[in-house]
Amino acid sequence: MIKIEKRNDVPMALYFFTPFIAIILTILGGGIIFYILGFNPIEALKFYFITPISNLYGFSELLLKATPLCLIAIGLSFCFKSNNWNIGAEGQLTFGAIVGGGVALLFYNQEGFYILPLVIIAGAIGGMIFALIPAILKTYFNTNEILVSLMLVYVSKLLLDYLVVGPWSNPEGFNFPETRQFSDSSRMPLLFEGLRIHAGIFLALAAVMLSWFILYKTYLGFQIKVSGLSLKTAKYAGFKGKTMILVVFMISGACAGLAGVGEITGPIGQLHRMISPDYGFTAIIVAFLGRLNPFGIIFASLVVALTYLGAETAQIFLQIPKYTGQVFQGMILFFLLASDYLLFFKVKILNLKKNELRH
Amino acid sequence: MATDLRISNISKIYPGCIANDNVSLQFKSGKIYALLGENGAGKSTLVKILSGVISPDNGEVFLNEKNLKLSSPLDAKKNKIGMVFQHFNLFETLSVFENLSIDATEDNKSLRVRINEILKKYNFSIDLDVPVLNLSAGQKQKVEIIRCLLRSPKVLIMDEPTSVLTEQETEELFISLKKFCDEGILIIYITHKLKEVLSLCDEVAVMRKGKVVSVSQTQNERVETLANKMVGQKLAKIKKKINVSKNKDEIFKVKHLNFYSDDPFETNLVNLNFSVKKGECLGIAGISGNGQNELFQILSGEIITPDTSIIFRNKEIAKLNPKQRREYLMAFSPEDRISQAAVPELKIYENVALNNFKSSNFFEKGLVNEKKIKEHSKKILSDFSVNTDNVELKSQFLSGGNLQKLILGRELITAPELLICYNPTWGLDVGAINYIHETLIKINDQEKSTILISTDTEELLKLSDKIAVIYKGKLSKIMPSEEVTPEKLGVLMGGGSID
Repeated sequence: MIKIEKRNDVPMALYFFTPFIAIILTILGGGIIFYILGFNPIEALKFYFITPISNLYGFSELLLKATPLCLIAIGLSFCFKSNNWNIGAEGQLTFGAIVGGGVALLFYNQEGFYILPLVIIAGAIGGMIFALIPAILKTYFNTNEILVSLMLVYVSKLLLDYLVVGPWSNPEGFNFPETRQFSDSSRMPLLFEGLRIHAGIFLALAAVMLSWFILYKTYLGFQIKVSGLSLKTAKYAGFKGKTMILVVFMISGACAGLAGVGEITGPIGQLHRMISPDYGFTAIIVAFLGRLNPFGIIFASLVVALTYLGAETAQIFLQIPKYTGQVFQGMILFFLLASDYLLFFKVKILNLKKNELRH
Repeated sequence: MATDLRISNISKIYPGCIANDNVSLQFKSGKIYALLGENGAGKSTLVKILSGVISPDNGEVFLNEKNLKLSSPLDAKKNKIGMVFQHFNLFETLSVFENLSIDATEDNKSLRVRINEILKKYNFSIDLDVPVLNLSAGQKQKVEIIRCLLRSPKVLIMDEPTSVLTEQETEELFISLKKFCDEGILIIYITHKLKEVLSLCDEVAVMRKGKVVSVSQTQNERVETLANKMVGQKLAKIKKKINVSKNKDEIFKVKHLNFYSDDPFETNLVNLNFSVKKGECLGIAGISGNGQNELFQILSGEIITPDTSIIFRNKEIAKLNPKQRREYLMAFSPEDRISQAAVPELKIYENVALNNFKSSNFFEKGLVNEKKIKEHSKKILSDFSVNTDNVELKSQFLSGGNLQKLILGRELITAPELLICYNPTWGLDVGAINYIHETLIKINDQEKSTILISTDTEELLKLSDKIAVIYKGKLSKIMPSEEVTPEKLGVLMGGGSID
């Protein structure tokens, strides 16, 4: 008979160490998969995890991909820490990009220092509004936020589809499903000539610092922490539960909206159908790999960004489909959950016969 | 064939409490047996032993002189002991038939035939193909009973079966139980409701503090005699001098408190009215599950009920949440100290910050003032003699008594005018209980008021100035505690009436 028991005291150090175990297991698991597929695992893993960041350009690409992941995951950590399961960050990202992109398109033939801030604020507000929908439905109509926020992802993607093929499509674009190019004043400044890394990374870093401050140093952060651990206690303490749900969803939506606007004003420069390779969903993995800790999330976003890059490199050099990136992301989450389980629970194998004797 | 179930010298000891102390009982088929007792009397432990959920430390169970080894619920099933628990074990989204077929050993066709036979025989009307969530509590209970009947049980144990039933459903249940009994099934009926014992059962065993204190024929018993046996002759009061509270102001007054819930496991409250004077302790007695949970949450502001009036220090506070009520100097100590009054994963000082009243300055301009909280926590730890001075300790490492001291300390350090506590001493050792009782008496001596909701009659008689009993969501009249005898209390708690 197998018996599963909760461990009484889990050392904090080990709690932050298990993500590393998960990453190592993911790499080993990846090696095995490559071996089964008939590739030299060492070589394949090298293409996956070393080659992409072996030059400056690669490193800039890593930061470029980590930026939206980090931003979204920071926002999600507010929701997850307080037991609100917002899994529609991809939708909030898309809607933020639509609103921000709409403002950028208004100014497509104008220049001015004020344009970019307007676009960024519009994007954040867009994401915030879109996240408020599941939050309001949850607080006032008792709906399940998981379903609502997930379904809204498809709503926003279809809306974006409609806009780029319909009313917002580029009049000189030969019917391609895309809008006009934004003017230079709507674009994120590049940090280095020739590299795609842009000023959006500062938004992500600012979000990290701010979220650390809010979560650990303010009354709001305290309420989020208590609600996450015990809703009964939060109710007993008299925290305003509904307001808090609205606030964490707004923070989360704003971060996702910022990530969306960072993509379209950064590397993309216009609106089209494929503005995000599911950053909003992948960021859920990032948030948990980073232990919902702001600084952990920085590290996790870099690791997960590498799986995006590695997949592209492996596709070019080894003709492995780039969707293996998702396999790696899935494995990270799987191994993380598995090692967490073993961290919090002991598995005991009891000898049935002996057990019977004792009674 | 006649069934004979014998329990011989069963003992079960939990740390700090003897749940079953050398219990011996004998049951024979053809009769309905009642097992009667207060909360914590040991009924549930005994039943869990009979159904194989827990193993006794000592003692044996014989069924028709065969020594049973009950080391899992499966063993109980094999030996034809069926059990209907108070809380149903059904999958709400599956149909009735699917629920019944889960642990069946035959094919669906013959199972359906057998179920229909049972339905017909006992006049149960249940649609087998609707999801269980559409059924009423009484129908769900019938599904559980059918599940037992399918295994043609020799013994059927019913644990507080009427707590979720309407009057009508209760009557139907009694008729069915009598039929089962006539067919030779041995029925053990666990309850704390005295009237049910008298109307349904043939023999009654009363348990108190883990021991069987009496076994008798119900025809020789009355509500009063059973109540007396159930509650016991409690010790004379050690209470502080009774407050001469004739001319004092009413500090807290509740009018028209009504609560209606759709959840069958919650109790509706019907028109509760009471008041508390300065320096007075109002005790609310009752067997758990008669509405105490709901009452506590309404008094603390966790549940807001419309049309209720709660006046505290001349202000209407019925619409305020717990935090706002604290500002008016109320304090609350809920029953669930482990997962509601405190969060085990939080450090002591973080748990202290849960009582964030305005003058505490724990959070200034929205920021955490950690230094202030820690200073305050240190003071609580020393003033209320919690056996640690480390405010960084996670509260999960405190013993029950120390955790309760911390919680009471947190609630009392604001010098509240009214403390509402619910079972403040459950599960604590004698030392901690004494400390908490002394603390509660001290509050009254300082002219502050308390409302003590408790299932422990001894505690209530010791601490209260006046006592009322809550039964099925209704409050009895409020009696000065010098007029209250354990016997009266027992009658009221069991649903009887006095005078």
